[in-house]
Order: sequence, then structure tokens, then C-alpha cells
Amino acid sequence: MEMPNLSLALPELLLVLGAMALLMLGAFRKDDATRTVSLLSVALLGFVALMVWGLGGERATTFGGMFVIDGFARFAKVLILAASALAITMSVGWLEREKLSRFEYPLLMLFATLGMMMMVSANDFIALYVGLELQSLSLYVLAAYQRDSVKATEAGLKYFVLGALASGMLLYGASLIYGFAGTTGFTQLSQVFHAAHGQPHAGVIIGVVFVLAGLAFKVGAVPFHMWTPDVYEGSPTPVTAFFSAAPKIAALALLTRVMLGPFGELFAQWQQIVILISIASMVLGAFAAINQTNIKRLMAYSSIGNVGYALIGVAAGSEEGVRGLLIYLAIYLFMTVGTFAVILSMRQKGRLLEGIDDLAGLSRSQPMMALALAIFMFSLAGIPPLAGFFGKFYIFLAAVNGGLFTLAVLGVLTSVVSAYYYLRIVKVMYFDDPVESFDRPVSRALGLIMAGSAAVVVLLTIVPAPLVAGAQEAAKSLFPTG
Amino acid sequence: MLQVGLAHYLTVAAILFTTGVFGIFLNRKNVIIILMSVELMLLAVNLNLVAFSSHLGDLVGQVFTMFVLTVAAAEAAIGLAIVVVFFRNKGTIAVEEISQMRG
Amino acid sequence: MVYIAIVFLPLLGAIVAGLFGRWVGDRGAQILTTSLIGVSAMLSVPVFIKIALGGGTAVVPLMHWISSGTFDVSWALKIDTLTAVMLIVVNWVSFMVHVYSIGYMHHDTSIARFQSYLSLFTFFMLMLVTSDNLVQLFFGWEGVGLASYLLIGFWYEKPSANAAAIKAFVVNRVGDFGFALGIFGVYYLFDSVQFDVIFAAGPEKADAVVTFFGTDWHALTIISLLLFVGAMGKSAQLGLHTWLPDAMEGPTPVSALIHAATMVTAGVFMVARMSPLFEYSETALTVVTIVGASTAIFAATVGCVQNDIKRIIAYSTCSQLGYMFFAIGVSAYEAAIFHLMTHAFFKALLFLGAGSVIHAMSDEQDIRRMGGIWRHIKWTYALMLVGSVALAGIPPFAGFYSKHMILEAAYASQGAAGTYAFWMGTLAAFLTAFYSTRLLVLTFHGKPRANEHVMAHVHESPMVMIGPLVVLAVGAVLAGLVAKGWFIGDFREAFWGDAIVVLAGHDTIEAAHHLPGWVGMLGTTVAVAGIGTGVLLYVFAPGVPGLLASLFGPIYRFFLNKWYFDELYGMLFVKPAFALGRGLWKSGDGAVIDGIGPDGVASASRDIARRLGRMQTGYLYHYAFAMLIGVASFVTWFIIRMG
Repeated sequence: MEMPNLSLALPELLLVLGAMALLMLGAFRKDDATRTVSLLSVALLGFVALMVWGLGGERATTFGGMFVIDGFARFAKVLILAASALAITMSVGWLEREKLSRFEYPLLMLFATLGMMMMVSANDFIALYVGLELQSLSLYVLAAYQRDSVKATEAGLKYFVLGALASGMLLYGASLIYGFAGTTGFTQLSQVFHAAHGQPHAGVIIGVVFVLAGLAFKVGAVPFHMWTPDVYEGSPTPVTAFFSAAPKIAALALLTRVMLGPFGELFAQWQQIVILISIASMVLGAFAAINQTNIKRLMAYSSIGNVGYALIGVAAGSEEGVRGLLIYLAIYLFMTVGTFAVILSMRQKGRLLEGIDDLAGLSRSQPMMALALAIFMFSLAGIPPLAGFFGKFYIFLAAVNGGLFTLAVLGVLTSVVSAYYYLRIVKVMYFDDPVESFDRPVSRALGLIMAGSAAVVVLLTIVPAPLVAGAQEAAKSLFPTG
Repeated sequence: MLQVGLAHYLTVAAILFTTGVFGIFLNRKNVIIILMSVELMLLAVNLNLVAFSSHLGDLVGQVFTMFVLTVAAAEAAIGLAIVVVFFRNKGTIAVEEISQMRG
Repeated sequence: MVYIAIVFLPLLGAIVAGLFGRWVGDRGAQILTTSLIGVSAMLSVPVFIKIALGGGTAVVPLMHWISSGTFDVSWALKIDTLTAVMLIVVNWVSFMVHVYSIGYMHHDTSIARFQSYLSLFTFFMLMLVTSDNLVQLFFGWEGVGLASYLLIGFWYEKPSANAAAIKAFVVNRVGDFGFALGIFGVYYLFDSVQFDVIFAAGPEKADAVVTFFGTDWHALTIISLLLFVGAMGKSAQLGLHTWLPDAMEGPTPVSALIHAATMVTAGVFMVARMSPLFEYSETALTVVTIVGASTAIFAATVGCVQNDIKRIIAYSTCSQLGYMFFAIGVSAYEAAIFHLMTHAFFKALLFLGAGSVIHAMSDEQDIRRMGGIWRHIKWTYALMLVGSVALAGIPPFAGFYSKHMILEAAYASQGAAGTYAFWMGTLAAFLTAFYSTRLLVLTFHGKPRANEHVMAHVHESPMVMIGPLVVLAVGAVLAGLVAKGWFIGDFREAFWGDAIVVLAGHDTIEAAHHLPGWVGMLGTTVAVAGIGTGVLLYVFAPGVPGLLASLFGPIYRFFLNKWYFDELYGMLFVKPAFALGRGLWKSGDGAVIDGIGPDGVASASRDIARRLGRMQTGYLYHYAFAMLIGVASFVTWFIIRMG
């Protein structure tokens, strides 16, 4: 048996070793090591991200074809690592204020990140499952991290039960596919389906549906979305910030790879389902958010809607679609992280607030924060020329070029509806009479993340070309023949 | 003489899986039952994998089963831990009580 | 490099003053923004000499922006004569306004914010005039709209200022919608939004048609009209003009910069820029002529009876913009841009002068409560006089050359629309001279009508405010005389180069040089007559205007109420739109439902939202059940499809 080529998985290996070392450091330090471990974790994630970035080269597999590294995986991994690093940075201050400092917190995020990296590089159902569970188990714990809070533990419990159900479905689907196609490897599956001329056994089709359902749960798409609002609301805010970015990106990347890789030959079979899921998510995300008063819940519905838009890129099934999806995810990452940095700054007399009304008159008490949030909201609403508009633009373009006019039209319509609640936040900040202002000063880390994210959103507005080019490269790697 | 073939294994697994799924949403009493239902689903999957593995003469399915078993153990541990912290906060683990957040 | 500096220095100023206003302080923000604009203004002079006088076009690519398939847009600066002229106008007026604001706003509490907005506006305006494609132009176009919105609502404690800002926003959306559709049309027809590509392909698409509703339509006419709708919104032409007078709620320097000299002329600039397309559509040109001429006369009649000093000048702006548009309509683009330039100088002068008056009169704006103050503020008086004479079109002041060229071109075009424009323009010229005189007499002469307290405080403005006025006055006196040779005279072909395209047979400026003598005389005559009438009515027989007003009561009220446009719109559009706008921006939830009606889209949305909310019960088993239903329905769907 030949030795697997470890160099391809070097970033993951480094992350594992680093996380283990930090675990030891935390366990053997007498005093509270949270801050140290957090900072080292961010540094580790940054280093790993640079490494992923630097590892160029063509598509290659290792570990007996179970692990694949290509442009697509690299792009997604850089986004995930950035999102995780930002989330840990945002958490430190919160942990200390809430007296929840425990070094396991950053480590859980590290392990979740490791799981996500394995997900996007998975090239086999076994690898997929292990990566996915490593991620999910860490996330269940994180959701219930604030263990003396009813809401947080309820969020954790709901997330756990439904997540386990989804994993069960995914596994059941995988077992059927294994049985009827005879393999769990993505590359082999693709060949098997190619040989079957896209007309596989009915068992395989049912397997695909179950797998798709499981993945749709992980991305939070309708009708597998029900956990999202409750978990977003109940989890501690920095954890919600983490949930809204990194796992979304990982799960969407995974879903894209699975649907377009091994099941690419079955495109005609599953396209309709993805279209349905996408439409349902966009519609629900747009409408259900209207009545929300809790900003975290609103962001949950917003994320459902955004997943709907991103799925359009998958439904297009083309290089252009994947490119649009990746651009969308990259822009979404900064919009959502920035928004949560603002939410984390909504503190009054030391207590964290979550109501949209609490933002009233923010433009007068903290104009820079209001401006940043306004930028994120305008961008999320897809108002040109902000970056969020480009994200939608490339997605809709792919839909139109793929002949999915209904999706494009519905996408535009729902984005008009959703603009209502994004702009309502802007209205509350700028036109409502001020309520008691938030505690000052905003912590430096949050201020930096806010300003940085706003700057990135504006920068991507003006210079989207490098991002588009990067996404183009990444998307190309998913379509080796074309 | 009943010849036990692949179809029988699959049927049993499907029934187990369905039982597990139904157990999750029909039971309104106790979260522990939900955890058991999850286990049941995973067992159904394992049964499937092993049956296919033997039918195909391919070991991958059994390797997969090993992974599922391992992960399921970890999952159960975490699930129980969360149930415990929830019980400490709320004093109950009735499924109907897990509904503070809605809308 | 120079070009980039000209455009981006104001942005730099805006960013520093806006973000770090607290650190650099008010004084620092003023000095920084003003000096950066000053540098831009200085730099635009050599650019003008090189590009406009030396001939040629410069294109500076900045970077790639959007590219997808055939849709390809880059950030790039294109500087030709048209742009060079606008650079001079925008930068210098903006520079003067920046300086002036230092004096005017010194009591204000958010000086850094104000200076930052002014600079931001200037940046967007420069972006607009230097763009080399329609999308970038649209970017600048929306940017100036945003900056204008921020500046109108600058004193957000005033509800009227907020309302005016929202009105400007809403009315401009109508125009922008047309403009955006026009851009789509251009892309549809030409497969590009790049000016060079569009203009080069213009002649071959001259007869292209588009089909919808089963009928063939002349493509360029549709596109031109859509673009013109955009221009109408931004340049406050009849129908979409209602926001401009209300925009006077903003600080006076803002009115001078945005609502007189630069932003409102963006529409004129855009149409002149698109001259290679407009030239191929007789229909569009006719529409432009009629709308322009109607605006000119409409706004002039309203201007005659207003009492708020800023509103009079605002209606005057509206009217002068009408002149520019009908000049374009008769293919006298050069004359339109010439008038744009001279108008920028004397109208900015008038506004800043009015600001100085308001400053002197303790924030009084009603000219009925002024009078008799010329002795106290001689500088302001003299400068306002220069501005008014230039506006009235008395030789040799700047307005004379440009306005007469426009009138002569209209006469020379000989079409029915041109003739209509000529007579309306002449009548409006009379009214212009009349209301300018009325403004001057009522403000400065006669007996003081303000109370003693105010009169005791009347004082001349500081040098930092008078200085810019003097500079603008020099422009108002000399700009016409100096520049007429280049803009509309013998050197115009070399001067304009390729920046403006006029088809053979459309050259009304050439034709205007060979008109019967009375046409040229008429404009001056009516101007003098207008001034004479004004002096007669308000100096020698001050009772007559009141008498006339009561004698022709209905007409007077018709004019006083601005032809009831606001009321009409209030009934037809603004009220529902405003309700919607307020729903979104002001009062939130309830107004939307009331505004659109109980069966409206909004209430339906909220209803759906409620139902969806109810589905989110909070119970685990419901969530699990939803997932199961999802899987089951997908499996069923497959089985049906395969079976």
C-alpha cells in the first residue's frame, strides 16, 4: 500500500496539530488561557489560510481518492478560514464580559473549521460524513455554550435533534447510493452514472433525494430551514455570527460539489428539486422576516433568503452559476460578519440588546456604526451599486443564461420584498427618535471588524474584478472537461 | 424455506429507519426517546450498509459502518450532555416544553 | 495623472473630513476640503487649455469593473472639450462655494460633515462628467442625487427639510427609472455602454426599429426619450420640476452649488453628451424643444409672483434650464453648453448673494419683509446687481451672449417647435428681466419693511463670503465676451472637435448668424422692456402690482400657486407615493397599508409574513415533520416523474 500524499492536506494537518497543541496549552495552563488560546487560534487560522492560498496547482486527490484539492476547495476554504478567524476575534470580548471565558470555546470553533475544510475537500461519502459530523458536533456544543441560559440550551437541543435527523437522512441516502451504484467515491460515482446515461436505478434516485435533503438542512434551505431562526435567536450572539458565515459557506460548497460532481450526470433529475428549494427559500426568507422584531431572528430569515439566491447558482448547473455562487458567498461573508459586529455592539448598561427598535436614532448617537450598518443593509438588499448587488447580478445572469427565467424573475421580486425589511432598519436608525444610546466605546476588535467589513463591501463595489477572476478560476476547476 | 436475501435486509432497514423518523416527531413526552430514535435511524443505515457490502462483495460498506458507529457514539454523548444542561435550566425534558422560541 | 488628481482629490477631502472630522476639527476640515478642491480647480485650467483649446481627447483607464460575456464596463475617465468645460465650471463653482461656506456655516454645529458632503458631491459630479460609459455616468448620476439628498436634508431637525429631501428623492426616482431603462435600451441595441462604441455605431442604427405590442418603434427615438426622462428629473423640467423649489430648504451654499450651477445641469450635459443619438431622432428633439420651452415660460411666470428670495431664484434656474433644453432641441448643443457655463457663474453668484442677504437679515427669506438695505450692504448689492443684469441678458454681460444665441438658433431652426420655443423664450426673457428687477427693488430699495431689531443688525458679510462672490461676478461679466468665439463663434468647430455631433442641415448656430436684424434686437429689447416694467411698477408706482394682482386675481393665484402643479401631483402621485415613501422611511408600518389600501401588496406581504410566522411554532416535532414532508414530497415527485 502506497503512502498517501500528505502534502496536499498540509493545511488540515497543520490545523489539527495546532488545535491539539492549543488544547494542551489550555489544559495545562493554571490561569485562564482563553485570550491566549483565542489569539493563537486566530493566528493559526490566518496562517492556514495563507497556506491554502499559497498551495496552487491543478486538481489532485489523495488518501485513496477520498480527499480532493482544487481551485474550488481552495476558494471556499479561504472564505471559511476568514469567517472563523473573524468570529473568534469577535467572541473574545463577549466571553470576558459575560464571564464565560473558557479556552474550549475557540477550540470548538477550530474543530468545526477543520470539519468544514474536510467537507469542501471531501471526495467520498465517508469523508463527507466524517467532516460534516466533526463540524456539526462542534456546532451543537457551541449553540448551547451559554449553559445557564434557557434559550441557548433550547437552541442547542433543537439544533442537535434536527441535525441528527438530517444526518440520518443523509446517511440513509448515502447507503442507498452505495448499494445501488456500488461505490462511495465521487469520482467513481460520476463514472457509473455516466455509463448509465443519466438513467440510474430508482434506488439511486431516492438516495440522491435523501442526500439532498440532508445537505439542504445543513445550508438551512426551505423546507429544512425550521431550525435556523430558533438557533440563531437562542445561540449566544458571537456563535450566531459564526453560524451565519462559515458553516453556510462550507455547506453550500459541499452541496455544490456533491450535486455537480458525482451527481452531475443526474443534473436533469435533481435540477427541478433545487429550483423548488431555491424558490421556496427566497420567498420564505423575504416574507417571514417582515414581522420580526429581533434582529438575530431577522438575520436568520435573511440567511434563508440568501441561501435561496445562492442555490440559483447550483440550479444553473454551469460554470457561470458556480462563479456567481462563489462571488455571492464571498460578499455575503463580509456583509453578515459586519452586521453581527454591529449587533454585538448593541450593549446597554452592559446588557446585550437584540431588538430592531433598540437601533432607533443610532445615526445620531453613533454615526459611524449607523453608517456601517446602513452599508451592510443596502448591500444585503442588493441596491446598486453596492457589492451585494453584484452578488445578485452574477447569480441572476447565470440563471438567465441557463434559461431559468422564472428563477431570475422570482429572485428579483423577492429581493424587492426583502429590501423592505433591510431598509426598515436603516429607517429606524436614521429617522426614528433616539432611544437611550449604547454603551461606549465600542470594543476595538468589533470596531475594526465593522469598519473593515464595510471597507471590503465598498471596495468590492468599486473593484470587484479580482474577486470575479478568482471565483472564475475556482468555478472552472469544478468542470474539468469544460 | 425462507431465503433471506438483500430485499429482506433492505425492508427491515427501511422499517427501522421509518420507525426512527416517526419516533422523533410523534413522541411528545421525552427527549431521551428522541435520542433513541436517532440511534435507531443510524442502526438502520448500518444495516443497509452491511447488507449492501456483503451483497456487493465490497468492504467499503463495512468500513463506512465503523465510522458511523464511532460518530454515533460521540453524537449520543453530546446529545445527552445538551439534554442535561437543558434539564438543569428548565427542570424538565418534555418535548413540548422546548418551545420558547418561535415565530 | 492630472486627470485622476482632479477627480479624486475631492473624494480624498470628503473621506478625511467625513471620517476623521473629529480629529482634524472643523477648521481643519474646512481648510483641507477647500484646498483640495482649489487644487482641482487650478488643475482643470491647464486641462481646459490642453484639451479644449489644443484639441483632442484623453482617455484614462482606471480599472476593470464589471465584465460578463459581452457586458463589459471599466472605470475610465474620458476628457474631451465637453468634459473640460464642465471641469472648469464644476471645480471653480465648487471651490467658490467651499470658500463661501466657511463664512456662511460658521454658526453650524456639524461643519466637518457639511464640508465632507460638499466634497463628496463634487467628486460624484466630476465622476459624472468624466465618465466614458453610461454605467459609470449613472454611478455619478446616482451619487450626486445621494449627495443632494443628504445636503437638502442637512438640517434634519427641520421637518420641512426632511420632507424636501424625501420629495427630491422620490421625484428623482421617476427620472432615474427612465434613465435606467434608456441605458438598458442602449445596451440592447448596441451591445455596449461605451460612449465611443455607441457613437461610432450610431449612424448605422439610425433606422433600427424595436417591436413591442405588435408595433415597430424607432429604436433611437425610444432610447432618446427614455434618457430625456432621466434628464428631466435631474434638471427639473416641467412635470418633474416640483422638487427643485422645495430643495431650497437646504443651506444656501448647497442651493448655489447643486441646485443652480452643477447637478441640475447634469441632465443638459447628459443629453449633449448623447447628441450623436439624439440627432437621429427628430421626434425626440421636438419633444425636448417643447418641454424645454414650456418649462422656460412656466417657471418664469411663477418666478414673477414668488416672495421667497431663494424660491424666485430657484424658479429662475428652472426657467434657464428650459432654455438650455430647447437649445438642445434645435440642435444648438454648443449654445446650450455655453448657457450652462454662463448660467453657472451668474446663478451661483445670485444664490450666494441671496445667502449674503439672508445672512444680513437674520435669516429672513421673504422679500416683502426686506427693502432699503442697499446702503448697508453695498458689496452684496453691487454683486447681486451684476448677477441680475447678467441673468436678464443685458449686453455685454455673460447671459446676453448665450441667451441670445439660443433664441436666434430657435428662430433659425424654422420648425413649428422651434418657432414656439423662440416666442416662448422671448416672452420668458421679458419675464426674467422683470422678476430680476422686482427681486432687486423689493430686496434692496424702498423703505425698510423689516422690524427695527433686524434692521439694526444688517451687516455686510465677511470677506470670506464676499471674495467668492467677486470671483463669480468676474465670470458673470466676462465669461460670455471671452468665450463666445470658442463656444458659438468662428472657432467653434476646432473647439468642440468630436465632443458634439450635429448632423448636416441641423446646424442652427450657423444659420443663426444669417438672420434678419430684428431677431437679434428683439431679445435685448424685451430685456430692457422687462427691466423698465419692473422699475415702473415697483419703484414709481408701488401700488400697481397689488392692484394688478387683485384685478387679475385668478391668473395671479394661478402663478402664485405654481400653476397648481404641486396640488395636481399631490392628488395624483405624490400623496400615494409620499405615503409609501413615508411608510418606508418615516412612520414605518401602518402607512404602507393605508397608502396602498387594505388589499395592497404590502398588506398581503404582511399577511403572508404572519402566516409564515405561525408555521414556525417552536415545537421540535413540527420542524421534524416539515423535513419529513419535504423528503416525502420530493421522493413522490420523482416516482411520479419516472413512472
